[in-house]
Amino acid sequence: MTSSTKNDISRRTILKAGVIGGALTLTPFWMRSVAAAPACQTLNAGITGFSTINTLDPARAALLPESYVLWGVFNSLLKFDENMKIVPDLAESYEAVSPTILRFALRHGVKFHDGAEMTAEDVKFSLERVASEEFGSPHKSNFDAIKEIRVVDAYTVEVETHEPFAPMLSYLTNTRTGSQIVPKHVLEKGTPDSFAFSPIGTGAYKVAGFEPGASVQLEGFDEYFESGKPIISAVNIPLIAEESAGVTALLGGSIDLTSTAPFAAVSQLKQNPNVQVLKSPGVNTRFVCLNTKVAPFDDVHFRRAVSLAFDQQSMVDVVIFGEGVTANGVIPSSIAWASQPEKSEILKINVEQAKKELAQSKYGAGTEGVVLTWGSGWWKRFAEVFVLQVNQNLGLNLSVEVSESGAVYQRLQAGDFQASIWGWLGLIDPDEYAFGILHSSGSRNYGGYANSEVDALLERARGEMDQERRGEIYREAEALTLEDMPVLPCFESNIHNLLGKNVEGFKQLPYSAFGSQLAAVSSC
Amino acid sequence: MAPVLPGTMLFSWEFPYMPSPLKYFFSRLVGAIVTILVGSLLVFLVMKAAPGDPALAVLGDFATPESIADFNRERGFDQPVLVQYMHWLNDLVHLDFGTSLSIASGRDIGELLAFRLPNTLTVGVYAILIAIVIALILGTSAAVRRGRPTDTIATAVSVLGVSMPDFWLGYMLILGLSIGAGLFPSYGFVPLSESVTGALHSGFLPALAIAAPMAAVFSRTLRAALVDNMDRDHVTVAKSFGHSRRFIFLHHVFRNSIIPFIVVVGLQVRYLLGGVVIIELIFGIQGVGSLMVDAAFARDYPVVQACAVTFLAIVLAVNFLVDVICAMLDPRRGGRS
Repeated sequence: MTSSTKNDISRRTILKAGVIGGALTLTPFWMRSVAAAPACQTLNAGITGFSTINTLDPARAALLPESYVLWGVFNSLLKFDENMKIVPDLAESYEAVSPTILRFALRHGVKFHDGAEMTAEDVKFSLERVASEEFGSPHKSNFDAIKEIRVVDAYTVEVETHEPFAPMLSYLTNTRTGSQIVPKHVLEKGTPDSFAFSPIGTGAYKVAGFEPGASVQLEGFDEYFESGKPIISAVNIPLIAEESAGVTALLGGSIDLTSTAPFAAVSQLKQNPNVQVLKSPGVNTRFVCLNTKVAPFDDVHFRRAVSLAFDQQSMVDVVIFGEGVTANGVIPSSIAWASQPEKSEILKINVEQAKKELAQSKYGAGTEGVVLTWGSGWWKRFAEVFVLQVNQNLGLNLSVEVSESGAVYQRLQAGDFQASIWGWLGLIDPDEYAFGILHSSGSRNYGGYANSEVDALLERARGEMDQERRGEIYREAEALTLEDMPVLPCFESNIHNLLGKNVEGFKQLPYSAFGSQLAAVSSC
Repeated sequence: MAPVLPGTMLFSWEFPYMPSPLKYFFSRLVGAIVTILVGSLLVFLVMKAAPGDPALAVLGDFATPESIADFNRERGFDQPVLVQYMHWLNDLVHLDFGTSLSIASGRDIGELLAFRLPNTLTVGVYAILIAIVIALILGTSAAVRRGRPTDTIATAVSVLGVSMPDFWLGYMLILGLSIGAGLFPSYGFVPLSESVTGALHSGFLPALAIAAPMAAVFSRTLRAALVDNMDRDHVTVAKSFGHSRRFIFLHHVFRNSIIPFIVVVGLQVRYLLGGVVIIELIFGIQGVGSLMVDAAFARDYPVVQACAVTFLAIVLAVNFLVDVICAMLDPRRGGRS
């Protein structure tokens, strides 16, 4: 009997616990309502579509969301304005004293977050840190051209390159180039581990907290050098892996702005009075990379035939729901001074002409080939739309191989592919696109394309400090490559930010600057 | 004999010369350890076999073949897979999950889990409670009014509940109750340690989305068990004694039906953990499920491993708990408590 009594109590306890639990679950919340929105104390700026931040050290950061945050925490010598014009930031002014020497006059009285003043020594230290072999920065190659950095006085610094190197100005902007100025006094004896998550910069915001994969908290820096900024002193940045969850978070008022928007949702969101949709063609390029070393894309006529056999606009419509523009070359149209002003005939669909080119090639109808792509989203659709059109129009037998983006990247670098969908985002100098993709020694030239005439032009462009003349050289070089078709330029995606209806002051930049715009937000 | 129980135990051990409760406990423990070993090895092999590279997740768009090779060498990924697994296992035995590779480079995984596990558990337990409450109402009313409109409606609601994918239901709940009615936040979760009411408020929609399909299964099980017991002889006898319907239902029908019900609740925990993964992403809950997804995409092997072991341990613990509760509710079962 004792045991049965014991069991009785247990049973009752369990059942009671269940009832209490149930009561707790259901009662109070239907009464609740959302509190009226208070004045904007904290800006909730979601990074959407990404969830990984490994480091906020600008010299180590390699992922877009990392840059999104550190753009608001650091400054570089220069920055881009809304028209993608280079303007001073930590530098007050700059001049080219000779074709190889850039001289920067620094602002006086700029403070790091720990109170120390930023001087020319910090600039020299920061750039040498990224450029050094032993540090191993992913951005090192941007600064390979530097011969010496000289501190003239506390507020004057000179950057000398081995040869005239025009892209240097772009690399010294607050973008994904690793050129952000870090404090020498904190890092000169080696970088402490804590710098990755509580970095010290000169930016409008300090990092107040970070939970990996979850969120970053920023706090306004009282001694920021631009007066009146930041306007909102606390920023919470949730990392929202699902873009669609970012949309519902914004619609439900949980966040005030997003770093991206799902292409398919944009047209509908534009109808919603509670949302502001910002969009513009971004600094990016999407293309089909062809391996000019292997069959069948080793034949220039075959490549030209394929280029004439698909319609760029239908790609834009189907692949990215119209959220983009067709490409005239690999240099994005948003870098207007260097990109192709008009569309070459070879980028327009012309099936008759395509068949003529195919007839001249050593490969005919029925030729097989594999186009690599990855994932299940628009990158996959991109490959499918391309292959479908080309097969239909030329009677080819191309197929799509779906893999994983990292694996595709490795195969491209190893040259183990026939054709692959690919693209670049966030590069800001035309040299990074044209030289990187089209020069025979370019780090992004996976298809082994080599044309000595193009090489010579791209090298000349690096030494041309006059922007207009430099742009003309890029146009000339790209016009030549469009005859060879080593890559098939397809389109450039729009970049988007979604803003709550009360958000004011956020400006969208074509390289999708996020962190650098937060300080200007005045209401949310 | 090991009792036939609802466990997901892959292995069960026999200890012939031990007192039976202790024997039972030890056989379960050894089974649990072997299950975790086999499970973690499977996850490890699958992760290694999948294409991709954690180096790419860290080095991003600027990776070069050299920097990828350096990264992998530094972390011992150039060694045979089984050697890597043994290293990992050795650390685990010392209760060290290691450090993250590519989603929070250098961070202690134990710390990541300590932050996230309470959130997953809160939402999971919350979902089970909601599902149980719904099931008690639907299942009981359907059984008591068997064959009448109430029964039909309850059945229809159950079928609907089990047919709705949880991610879809999640978005519908956000649309209706958050964006539409403004009753709940559309994103984010307040940890229980910060605010109990905040956690219950912000966790309600995700918990409901996970609970709906479970509630459907629970209520069908409960209805079937109740109906079954209502037709038993001892109920007829109790009726003949003139006991009130209420007394008979509570003492002779409901009490006997509760065991299969609890067994099914225990079984559903596995599916709950599957649902949690998606729901955490949709609702922005910083839990173990979303951590595991992020880690899998970034090929962060040790984090995926740690999450898998955590999930396995939860499932095994719940199975054990269900056994104990069932034994307490029914002294005839096993005779070991």
